[in-house]
Amino acid sequence: MKTTKVTFHVNDEKVTVQARPYETLLETLRERFDLTGVKEGCGMGACGACTVVMNGIPLRSCLVLTPEVNGASITTIEGLRKDGKLHPLQEAFMEKGAVQCGFCTSGMILTAKALLDRKKRPTKKDIIKTISSNICRCTGYKKIIEAVEEAGKKKA
Amino acid sequence: MILPKFEYNKAENIAKAIAFYESYNGQVRYLAGGTDLIPLVKLRLSTPMAIIDLKGIEELKTISHQGRSLVVGANVTLFELKNNDMVRDYFPVLHESLDKTSCETLQMRGTIGGNILQGTRCLLYNKSLEWRTALGFCFKMGGETCNVVPNAKACFSNYCSDNALSLIALSASVNLSGPQGNREMKLEKIFSGDGRNPFTLMPGEILTKIRIPMKRSKGAYEKLRVRGSIDYPLLGVAVSIKDNAGRVCVGGIGSTPLVYSLENINKDTFTNVAKKAYNNARPVANTALSPGYRKKMVSVLIQRAIKRALKEGK
Repeated sequence: MKTTKVTFHVNDEKVTVQARPYETLLETLRERFDLTGVKEGCGMGACGACTVVMNGIPLRSCLVLTPEVNGASITTIEGLRKDGKLHPLQEAFMEKGAVQCGFCTSGMILTAKALLDRKKRPTKKDIIKTISSNICRCTGYKKIIEAVEEAGKKKA
Repeated sequence: MILPKFEYNKAENIAKAIAFYESYNGQVRYLAGGTDLIPLVKLRLSTPMAIIDLKGIEELKTISHQGRSLVVGANVTLFELKNNDMVRDYFPVLHESLDKTSCETLQMRGTIGGNILQGTRCLLYNKSLEWRTALGFCFKMGGETCNVVPNAKACFSNYCSDNALSLIALSASVNLSGPQGNREMKLEKIFSGDGRNPFTLMPGEILTKIRIPMKRSKGAYEKLRVRGSIDYPLLGVAVSIKDNAGRVCVGGIGSTPLVYSLENINKDTFTNVAKKAYNNARPVANTALSPGYRKKMVSVLIQRAIKRALKEGK
């Protein structure tokens, strides 16, 4: 099978892979780069556990073919820490107890990060709407919403 | 779930995409946002030899005001269209249905063209190959029976686009390009009435543009679903009103939306439309909610949408 040369940025590092045409971005990130913070939940785009940020917008990596991301810039949960310091969202999630089993957490944080990056002061309603893209089966939504509010305040 | 093998090609323009289609003898699927296509391929409901990525085609990404229409490229994302000022001011019904489509993250990936041409759905169809093999193939999978309605002669899969209903209510038309050339048709004419193959598009045709008549309207979209996010509609009702006349479009039941016109709007005209639609709607037991409930809600949501349109959409 013919492979495709794909060059893109992962967490600010330029990478090149020879991807299978039927390889998903989720598989590439987990299997080639060991970025296992990207989770596979439903694999059908419904749950949001596999969310990464591509060029500033949240993206379901299970629905994207790796050849599609040529030239793009991808951020995963592993890339949020800067200079040894956690992202305010990560701090807020710990502080507010917004993590139970942890499977949805990276997707939740990245979805929220994209919101905080595009909207300076999101209202609680905005946060609920954005977070409703992702499913948490421990049903800890209240704490998650509080954590995003907290991080939003700190950033502003 | 692991994808089956296929090749990947990216087209820079429409002619190139059609050339790819021909070079694979039609054994291809066109890819835009992928939010509908990739799950279908994962479930082996579609097994193309190659996927042709249309996202590199610049002319499909723009929204422009041409003459008396708003012309929307098929690759404009749902999120971008939702946040367009003209859509918000002129077509409230479309703004609402875009807002109620799936969730924000998928709105940022999914395109308006893909949303219109999404496959019809059924509780017993959108399942893995193993699951479907165990039950036996239905009409839509190439079998000789319907697994939902015994002895049925037709396929009852549901067309689940929210935004096509709004666009039909707004009298939109679509531009298509294919191996046989270009054509333009009313959006409601793209439906074949057969759930197995729900669209009248010719082989290899690409939906390129959507044209919406540029006239300020009042409108509302009502959607029946179990959760407030991510879900497909179990019933959708779009209403658009201009100058005391309007259109009502009902979808999410069967493979073809129902369209009604509203004239001289008063209490009688809209209960009449609600009654007519209630009688015409034929839901079957192929969604998470019962057919009886969905049928009753047709009349409820039509009246609710019209009332809301008249009150809010000034």
